[in-house]
Amino acid sequence: MSDDDQGAVQIEVESDIAAARRVVREVATSIGFGVTETARIVTAASELGRNVYKYASKGTMHWRTLRNGEISGVELRFEDHGPGIADLDEAFQEGHSTGGGLGMGLPGAKRLMDEMEIRTSNGEGTTVTVRKWRQH
Amino acid sequence: MSDDISVLRVRDVLLVTMPADPDDATVSALQTRTLDAMEQHDVKGLILDLSRVEILDSYFARTVAETAKMVTLMGGETFIAGMRPSVAITATELGVTLGATRTVLNVNAALDAVPRLSQKKRAGR
Repeated sequence: MSDDDQGAVQIEVESDIAAARRVVREVATSIGFGVTETARIVTAASELGRNVYKYASKGTMHWRTLRNGEISGVELRFEDHGPGIADLDEAFQEGHSTGGGLGMGLPGAKRLMDEMEIRTSNGEGTTVTVRKWRQH
Repeated sequence: MSDDISVLRVRDVLLVTMPADPDDATVSALQTRTLDAMEQHDVKGLILDLSRVEILDSYFARTVAETAKMVTLMGGETFIAGMRPSVAITATELGVTLGATRTVLNVNAALDAVPRLSQKKRAGR
């Protein structure tokens, strides 16, 4: 796989969350991530994909492979045009949920990945970008 | 490889095996299929075989914990068997807990634990 591979998965129905997981598993494996690292990335993708479906009802997961010198990695970007996150600090509090979930999606995904960035604005949607670098 | 849940009665317990990467509909079917089967067969508990499972996200974990709680209400005990190391590590880092369940290395260990469980119950009577 070259360093500019990329793609996208639409998240519109519940089963698309599983479809996104399958794509992420394939990408992570092809980059050379091990079993546990792949499980971390796929789990983070599942949490973030479910957030898109639950809070915005639809959106897109964009994925691309990364290369920084000798280090390779993967970037996942979850974009939706939903209501946005009203209180980001609150959204990162363990156990806080406005959607009837366990409130571990965002903080959990952040722990599982190396980097996370969030852009959100009220009424315009949310973009969550996460990256994982392969340890050599 | 089947993507569906398999439900079997083995000795005095229900053996429920989850597929590698179940979608949300399959995960929620775990609850109804397990409880229906619990009612149908007179069993002492549930062994939930996760040996094929490659990812346990918060939704899946919550469903497992809730199912275990319901099994407890029905008088049974739940054993989680065969969780892979990568899944155990990831679930812990994510922050999920499995509630009122006992975890065992594999299905054999769970089956070994069940007779002890029933003997203990008889002894206590």
